[in-house]
Parts: sequence; C-alpha cells; structure tokens
Amino acid sequence: MSTRSVRCEGLTKSFEGEPALDGLTIDVRPGEVLALLGPNGAGKTTTMRLLNGVLTPDLGTATVLGLDPWAQGTELRRRTGVLTENAGLDERFTALENLVTTAELRGMDRSAARVRAGELLERFGMGHRADARVQGFSTGQRKRVALARALLHDPELLYLDEPTSGLDPAATRDVVELIASLTAERGRTVVLCTHFLGEAGKLASRMAVLFQGRLHAFGTPDQLAADLWSDTEVRLDVGGPASTELLVALAAVEPVVQAVPTDDGALVRVRSADVTPSLVRACVAAGVDVHAVTPRARTLEDVYFEVEARAQAQGTDDGLGARPVAT
Amino acid sequence: MSATVPRREGTDWRVVRAMLRRDLGAIVRSKALLLPMLFLPTVLLVLLPLSIGLAANGKTVRVERALELLPERLVAPVLSHPPDERLIILVLGYLVAPLFLIVPLMVSAVTASDTFAGEKERRTLETLLHLPIRDRDLYLSKLLGGFLPATIVSWVGFVLYAVLANIICWPVMGRIFLPTWKWTILIFWVAPAVAALGLGVMVRVSTRVDTTQEAQQLGGAVVLPLVMLAVGQTTGLLLTGPIVSIVAGAVVWAIAAFLNLRGAKAFTRDRMGSRL
Repeated sequence: MSTRSVRCEGLTKSFEGEPALDGLTIDVRPGEVLALLGPNGAGKTTTMRLLNGVLTPDLGTATVLGLDPWAQGTELRRRTGVLTENAGLDERFTALENLVTTAELRGMDRSAARVRAGELLERFGMGHRADARVQGFSTGQRKRVALARALLHDPELLYLDEPTSGLDPAATRDVVELIASLTAERGRTVVLCTHFLGEAGKLASRMAVLFQGRLHAFGTPDQLAADLWSDTEVRLDVGGPASTELLVALAAVEPVVQAVPTDDGALVRVRSADVTPSLVRACVAAGVDVHAVTPRARTLEDVYFEVEARAQAQGTDDGLGARPVAT
Repeated sequence: MSATVPRREGTDWRVVRAMLRRDLGAIVRSKALLLPMLFLPTVLLVLLPLSIGLAANGKTVRVERALELLPERLVAPVLSHPPDERLIILVLGYLVAPLFLIVPLMVSAVTASDTFAGEKERRTLETLLHLPIRDRDLYLSKLLGGFLPATIVSWVGFVLYAVLANIICWPVMGRIFLPTWKWTILIFWVAPAVAALGLGVMVRVSTRVDTTQEAQQLGGAVVLPLVMLAVGQTTGLLLTGPIVSIVAGAVVWAIAAFLNLRGAKAFTRDRMGSRL
C-alpha cells in the first residue's frame, strides 16, 4: 500500500490564459482529512477536479490511489466519491431515483443499487423523503442526499467541496460528525474544500492554504504556527488588569518579548512556554495573586489569517476573494 | 464495493443503457421537453390526415387547378389516380412527406439541446463528469439519448399517420394506400439520417453554451437552412424513383456521421470541466 493516497507535484492549470492553479505540490495520507482552505477563486475546486481526472493540468504530475488521474481517470473515479458544491441532483427525479441512477452509472445492478440507496438515505435521515421529488428539498436535505450519493460505492477517497455551505447549524453538526466517523471508523481519506475554518479545524489533521491558485502553507496547524511565529503567548489571570509595575516586572523576565494588560491580568508574549514558572514567580514577587496561567495555543484562525496577511504582503492576493468564515 | 462491473476496453453498453434510462426518464418527466416533442407530430400526423380525409370524403376540394401549375412530369403520378382520390394522393401521399422530416429534426433538436447545456443549467454536469464514465461513452449516450426519441417519435408517428389516413380515406380510396415503398424508405432510412444530422449539430452546440435556450437558438440558426434544404427536396424524392431516395439518405447519413465523429473527437472531459 502506498504511503500516500494523493500526491501531486507542480500541478498547474489555466483557463483561457488565466491561471487557476500554479505549481501545487501536496500529499494526503491514507485515512487523513486534508483541508484545502482559501477564499473563493483560490483554486480549491480546480484542485479537486484535477485530482479526480475531470480536468487535465497544463503542467505537473499526480498519483491518486496509485493511479494516474488523467491516464486512468475512469478507473480512479470508480474508487473516489465526490460531493460537489452544488448538490447536483436532478430535480425531476426523487431522492431515491437520483441515487439509483448514479449507482447504475457506476455499474451497480438496479436491485443492489436500490437496497444500498435506501440504506444510505435512512442513515442520512432522508428515508422518509426517499420517494419525494428533489425539487421541493431544502439545501440541507439536498446536501444529505448528495452526500449519500457520494458514498454509494463505499469510496476509498472522498472529495468534499464545501459540504456544509448553506446548512443550518444542526445540519452542519450532523455532516461534520458524519465526515469524522467516515475517517475514524472506516479509515476513509478525505480531501475537504472549505472556507469554514471551524469545520476544517474539527475535521482536518493538515491543511493547505491557497490564495490566487498558489499554495501558501501546508501542514498541521501546529507546524504552521511554529513556522509562522517564533514566540508563543501566555495568559495570566490575576483577578484584574495588570498594573504597570507588574507589566514591567513581567517584561524583565527572560525571554519575555512583550506583556500587555487584559481585563483579568496580562497577555505575555514569550520565546518559549518554558518561561511560565518564572512569570508566576515574578507575579508572586510583585505581591500579586495568580488565579490561572494558560499557555495560549495558536488557533487555526490565527494561522490562516497570518498566512493570508503574508500572502497579501507578497502581493499575490488582490483582496477581492471572500474571506473564510471562522465558525 | 458491491456489484461493480470490471473495466472494459470497448463501449460500456451497461453504462450507456443506464445513461439512456436516466435521460429518457427525465424527458418523460419534463413537460418543457415532452410538449414540444408531441405537439408538432400530433398536428402533422393526426390532425392533418383527419382534415384532409374529411375534405376528400365531402368532395369539397378539387386539386386539378393546383396540379396544372406543376410540371407535368411531377404531377403524372397524381393524375394517374381517379379525380376523387387526387386530393388525398397529392396531400397525404406527397405534400405531407417534407413535414415528416421536420419531426425527427425537431425532436432531436429539443432533446440534444437539453443534453450538455441542460446538464449545465441544472448543475448536474459536474456530478456526471466525476463518474467513472469514459468520454466517448458519455458522448455516445448523449447522442443516442437524442437519436432514439427522434426516431421512435417519427416511426410511431408514421404508423399512426398511415393507420389514420387509411381509415379516414377508406370511403374514397377503398384500399390501403399507405405506406408505399417510397414512404417506407423515407421514414426508415432518410428520417433517421436527418435526425442524426440534427444531432451532429445540436450536441456540439449544446457542449458550447450554458443553457438549453441558447442551444436551441444557436442550433436553430445552423439547423434551419439544412431543414429548408431537406424539406425542399423531399416531395421530389417521392415523385422520383426509390434509388434517388436511398442515395439521398446515404448522403445525409455520411454528413451526419462526419459531424458526429468530429464531435466525438472534440468532446473531452477537460473541455467540459473547464466550462463548468
């Protein structure tokens, strides 16, 4: 078994001379959820289409599930499942018919397709609407049906393009839990295109941040934070805003970079979290009671927006794309 | 994985059949597709023989003056019949024939415009492109999805037309006068060729535009001159020998095959995916 479900190098694609993806190099491990993050037009969907052999790159190579997506696209697509951003259901058919038709196009026989489709619709809470035409379905119901369709053939690799866009909070939670269970219980590999950072944070072990078709960061949030920042932050709760004297005392501790007051104490930027005991000692020496000391880990949002800021500083982002939403 | 089919080198007919079931099922459920497909054939193939038959039975219309205006060589087959039969022979036997070629063209145009452009409009094309269907199988199934309804409507329509015309005109004719050999060649050889010709144009147009309306407008502009050309020659085909009809059909088939083969070569997933 390959150590990577997906590996691509220098993937480049233009549409009518306009670059959509520029030299993308990433990999996805078996059983991993990789989040492709970025604003609209960053190249996330293009990446997904390229890696499933729907689009052919201008440059670059890729191996997906051990196959060449362009020379062996049909074979690859037998083993992948896709949830497109728009559910892509035919409104003239019922939910069950949409699934059975797709199953037949995947080569399943009709009776097996009906059984499998029925099971999946039940699992996604759509069993009661199986024989209803999709025309009257809400966005959430369509997403559920489309997700069921993507899982019909029990794919090894799932491409999910904005799986929770347009969903209400309860439906979002359900879909996120379902994706998590697919990887945790069934070991499926997922490439998740999203601009919802909360969703990515809950599901993805690594993330690739794209802007204007270029990869600007790739790794776990911790790795990226370590690459982005040489310091960390410690939150001190002393029951009220830190006095000037205390801030001076904290700033004097090596290797503190900066100490700023907060409503309940101070936020101290330090070169290493190992300095925490020294900070507590400085507080005690200043006659201040310490209620709590919390090293503040960099969040996915911190990482994403820092990457975005640096990308913009490099002049590669024109700022027109919609920003990801922290949820 | 359950019940999947192993990869085959040739056309995957199982997938093509599944796609046809899907597309034909969708046509049956869509009033926007079904009504135009049935309206014209009903008018041409049911109402027209009814009205002509009734007029001939009542002996209210004489065609001798009209026949005098046409070249003698062409009207000879009509004039060889008794005067009471001439209206029926002229209209139902010859003049309706060109209209029969409009039926397969129109049906193929309606269904073909709904193929790729319709998939784009309904936002189902991307899902389709992500399925394990080879480009040529996808193209072939879309072609057949247009060709089969056009041919079936033409053939069923003709059978209906012939039955109705024979029944209504029985009091005047006293015999079964349709179908003739020339009609049979026209319906079973030339009409499918015309449908294939229309598809050759319309499917390619459908891959290039975003809506069925655009496809119909653009496709109509290309197909209409062909229709006029074909229709203009059809009565002549019936008035001449069957060999001419067979040759004419072969020419249309050749053009249709050329257009469709070129279309199949030009159709790639990447091209469709780039237009999503």
